Amino acid sequence: MPKHSCAKCDGGDITRRGFMQVGSLGLLGLGLGQYLQVSEALANSGVVVGKPKANACILLWLEGGPSQMDTWDPKPKNSGFKPIATNVDGIQISEILPGTAKHMDKLSLIRSMHTEESNHPQGTFYAMTGHRPNVAMKFPSIGSIICNETAPRNELPQHVLVPTPWEADFFDYRDAFGGGFLGKHDAMVMPDPSKEDFSVPDLVLPKSVTSDVIQHRQSFMNVVDQHFRRKEKLAEFGMMDDLNQKALSMLMSPEVKKAFDLSEEDEKTKDAYGRNRVGQSVLLARRLVERGCRFVTAAGYSHGQWDTHGDNDQRLRDELAPTLDRTLPTLLQDLDQRGLLETTVVLVMGEFGRTPDINPGHGRDHYPECWSLAIGGGGISGGQVIGASDERGAHVTERMTSMGDVFATIYKAFGIDFTKTYMTPIGRPIYLANALGDVQGQPITELI
Amino acid sequence: MQRFHNNDNNDTARSRRLRPLGVAALWVVVFLIPPVLSSHADPAEPENQLLSVRVIPEEVDLWGAGAAQRIVVLGQFADGMRRDVSDQAEITVSNPECVRLGESRRIIALTDGEVVLTATVAGRSASAQVRVQGSRQQRPFSFQRDIGSIFTKNGCNTTDCHGGVKGKGGFKLSLNAVLPKDDYHWIIEGGTFQVLTDEVEGERVPRISLEEPEKSLLLQKPTFEVAHGGGERFKVGSDDYRTILDWIRAGAPYGEESGDSVKIEGLELFPREAVLGLDGKYQLLVTAVLSNGRREDATDQALYTSNNKDVAKVSQGGMVEAVKTGETAVMVRAAGHAASATFGVIADPIADYPEIPRHNFIDEHVFAKLEKFNIVPSEPCGDEQFLRRACLDVAGMLPPPERVRQFFADPDPNKRAKLIEVLLGSPEYVEYWTFRFADIYRVAYYSVFSAKGTHAYWQWLRENIQSNKPYDQIAREKLACQGPRGATGHYHIDRPPEDMMSEEVRVLLGRRFDCAQCHNHPYEAWSQNQFWGLTAFFGRLTEIGQYSKGIIVDLPGGHRDRGMGGPILHPRNNQEVQPTFLDGRILPDEKRRDPRMELADWMVSHPYFAEATVNRMWGYFFGRGIVDPVDDFRSTNPPTHPELLAELAADFVEHGYDLKHLIRRIVSSRTYQLSGVPNETNRDDQINYSHALARRLDAEVLLDAISEVTGVPEVFNHESGGGIAPPGTRAVNLIETDTYPSRFLDIHGRPDRLNVPERDGKANILQAMHMLVGSTFHDKLGGEGGRLDRLIKSEAPDAEIIEELCLAALTRQPTADERSALLAMLAAQPDRPQALEDVLWGLISSREFTYNH
Repeated sequence: MPKHSCAKCDGGDITRRGFMQVGSLGLLGLGLGQYLQVSEALANSGVVVGKPKANACILLWLEGGPSQMDTWDPKPKNSGFKPIATNVDGIQISEILPGTAKHMDKLSLIRSMHTEESNHPQGTFYAMTGHRPNVAMKFPSIGSIICNETAPRNELPQHVLVPTPWEADFFDYRDAFGGGFLGKHDAMVMPDPSKEDFSVPDLVLPKSVTSDVIQHRQSFMNVVDQHFRRKEKLAEFGMMDDLNQKALSMLMSPEVKKAFDLSEEDEKTKDAYGRNRVGQSVLLARRLVERGCRFVTAAGYSHGQWDTHGDNDQRLRDELAPTLDRTLPTLLQDLDQRGLLETTVVLVMGEFGRTPDINPGHGRDHYPECWSLAIGGGGISGGQVIGASDERGAHVTERMTSMGDVFATIYKAFGIDFTKTYMTPIGRPIYLANALGDVQGQPITELI
Repeated sequence: MQRFHNNDNNDTARSRRLRPLGVAALWVVVFLIPPVLSSHADPAEPENQLLSVRVIPEEVDLWGAGAAQRIVVLGQFADGMRRDVSDQAEITVSNPECVRLGESRRIIALTDGEVVLTATVAGRSASAQVRVQGSRQQRPFSFQRDIGSIFTKNGCNTTDCHGGVKGKGGFKLSLNAVLPKDDYHWIIEGGTFQVLTDEVEGERVPRISLEEPEKSLLLQKPTFEVAHGGGERFKVGSDDYRTILDWIRAGAPYGEESGDSVKIEGLELFPREAVLGLDGKYQLLVTAVLSNGRREDATDQALYTSNNKDVAKVSQGGMVEAVKTGETAVMVRAAGHAASATFGVIADPIADYPEIPRHNFIDEHVFAKLEKFNIVPSEPCGDEQFLRRACLDVAGMLPPPERVRQFFADPDPNKRAKLIEVLLGSPEYVEYWTFRFADIYRVAYYSVFSAKGTHAYWQWLRENIQSNKPYDQIAREKLACQGPRGATGHYHIDRPPEDMMSEEVRVLLGRRFDCAQCHNHPYEAWSQNQFWGLTAFFGRLTEIGQYSKGIIVDLPGGHRDRGMGGPILHPRNNQEVQPTFLDGRILPDEKRRDPRMELADWMVSHPYFAEATVNRMWGYFFGRGIVDPVDDFRSTNPPTHPELLAELAADFVEHGYDLKHLIRRIVSSRTYQLSGVPNETNRDDQINYSHALARRLDAEVLLDAISEVTGVPEVFNHESGGGIAPPGTRAVNLIETDTYPSRFLDIHGRPDRLNVPERDGKANILQAMHMLVGSTFHDKLGGEGGRLDRLIKSEAPDAEIIEELCLAALTRQPTADERSALLAMLAAQPDRPQALEDVLWGLISSREFTYNH
């Protein structure tokens, strides 16, 4: 039964009137069930009690959509792979992820994800925003919402996507990582960090341009711009001055330069993460959150790499699981050793899961109905399993979870009021954490 | 049903309660006035004398028993202001048998006849003709008019309450009672509305009780007898309460079917535009225009909201009061319709407002409003600004230095008009406007996945711009075309028909329909049915062959196997939707062979088309539309200059939808040619065109300008190794712009053209970083064979180089101060080429360069 949440009756602002409204629902002839749901919403207030732990998030993006029954939700009767034990009693995952199994205490698994889009572009948009794409409105992504709700940690770009795996299409994948109608906090896109010539565009001074030159240029510009600016004044000009100042301090800052400089990482660490796009993207993500970024999506897998329509088992065994099972445990261990796991949310997912049925090409197709993801760190507890699916991994049997619930959990970890709504430019209120049926998502209380 | 047959429920109820007074009022036809006049009208202040008064409306037709009309008395004062002096007016009627005066200066019909109404203020009087007809005929009850209007005026059915998309607290009403049958249904049947399906959620408990009418939720909620999230809307025993209670007691009938009876076709407001002093106020009058040609006062049935309450506030009864200087629209909603009036609040009127010359009708409208609003336009701009502005706006490029010198030297007083003609006839005009329309018509590789197809579409567009084909024909071809790639270059088999439809409505009619895809539009009287009715015109569209061989045709079955075409089903009930025009006309069967042609004919001849087109074009020249955003026409987003918009549209139609004519009109106006330097009166004005507002150059134009000034063309590399675009290709000339990656263009807001483009021209940090160290700036400054390189090699002295660069970048000579400062700074630098590069960087990074002003 869909809930009928009310934008004005958000738990964050519990007033007498809020309670009155709850009462009024009953009188309108609505059932007790709804009354209880609203009461629960009130109890589960968006007001954060205690100090939030998370200050950054790394999303390890499994581009194309991983097969749930062959990874986090093993189904011996419906998978070519066996389940293996992990370092947490009672939790089993697929045998192709033995390295990750040793760190299960740091990650929890949600085996009851249910989403609504079964194509890659729309699915990606849905996974990152909690909304189906809509021509009338561009919704902000979780990364941009977190940046919008928190102050910048320092002068580093706060929202980063490294790198971009997508080729051009009908749909612009960048929208899924953008600020949408917020008009800001789009993810800054990095090139592939595993390339020899990796450097961030426009962040490093060309060799011939010294800081002296930059200063001269500024003073020449000040001379020629005075004439015009004395006469015409726009609010925008001041904003541009601020941006220029910010850009200048970013360029001149050794800290910023350092954050993007992978050569500062020792060779052993680079090896441990994996000398490929996936490994180096995740390594850069760790460097960036360590130095002040808020939300980094490590999207090192190429366009559709997890999209195993053919030879599902072989590709998982030979190509996909090995990279993931090298990089992910390394990241968890590395964050832990640096004391960053306490403050960094790690989210591992793709845009949907895969069909319980095997197609004639030995592959599995797109499946948003029931899938799994892994989450931990930043105050979100590891070593737990949320929800369950049937024995084929086809349907959610326990605790259906939507993107909005995952988002609410992450917001709560950051100390962001997850019950908040944004008013869009066309006057439609939008939940920060939008769950199935356009209702407010709820944090997963077992995890936080 | 007797109780509901009265046109004036409120008044009946009131007179019932106040019978003794009411009877007395019949005989007291002289409305006593407070003797104190406001300071503005104080006769002791000779400069602010009341010159004359007017009664609004000047002719009143009252039809039906108890029909009523509010009147307003306006005073014209010596300071040029009109003020509402109603509350100081003494009002008499020539025949008190015929009408009586009610509260708030309402004249109420008694018996048939004609009456002269006279209003007198401080010795000045004016009169109005009142005619009463049908005073013995009771008006039949109508749910929409009699009950729905109560929801509207109490704000029950607004977007943020029960009129919202989902309703509120499970109870859904249509916005402004636009769908009375649905409202009636939810009240009588009960149940909770769901957005995406026709199914009702929850138990069906009626919201009225025929057994115990007072216990009806419909009464207990708004009176707060039971908890109500919206608080108390009216009191037990109030007129509205009684009307609803009486209605329930009478069995809660629906009354007259709206189909058989008189419909309300629209609202008229008086005034549509007015200026208030800081202590001013003004009573709005709302008139409902009925389908039978009659008019009815709806002032008391309307909901009023001020868009900017800091400027002026509005009372429940429509009294607007000034708060501080500025301009705001007041929205009026009644009986399923919405309209708006503009109010300006000004400080002391300017005593000797200057005479401003007019070039054409654009200036008439713009300057008339400015004068009314107490704003003096800036001086006309100088030749250098005009040259730069016109070249950028008409041809998308900067004038080269020789052209600048020529223009300055030309003594011809008509040289501006001559320049406009030169620009309109230039090849750059064709390139620039092809680019502009390629943007909104979406010429993009990734919309059809075919280079050949994209080229054919671009070529079609270019030829039309070149031959200056009437714009209605261009639009008609674009919408209706069938056949191989060309005008069909924006149709693709995988694009859902509803997206195609809403794109055409947005681009050609300037309306955003998208919200109505899933639910009735939250602000407008646009229903989901209308959305799908228009979509059905695209139900036959299909594509034979693919990619470059793709042929777009309309076939009876559409292309069902590709999930496209075939019958269009309504998402709420899965019923087939017939192609239906916005006005509800269904396309007859015999005309369905070529439905898109029928739709195109209807669209381009609709008044929306011309006004949306001129508004979009206007936006290119002023940085904002008369309705802004340019494609967001709606009653709650009113035009700043409605008469100007109407005349521009009429002029455009009259001149055969001639784009060049329209551009000529705009750039010839004095309004367009005003300077950007503000004066004391217009500094804060952002919307009335009192001075030119600087506009950032769009990505492609800015990049081309940088290439032009530096003399180093941009090289565009195709994304997948398709080689480079032909050498010298300017950014505006990239045909498949979406296949040429460019950091500069992308961070400056180039749209990908995969949806109706919305350019994001805002400044951002990436631009600032790119400007400081990016290749576009850095590599071009001293590039070999570039402007600076040539000047240095020609051994030109510093002064000459500075002048040349200034002319190229800023369309002006350096000032004496700039010249000496730059020369001194250059002299202090050991590395001359580097220092000159830095000067050039300063020029192309300056606001003066990156803005059109």
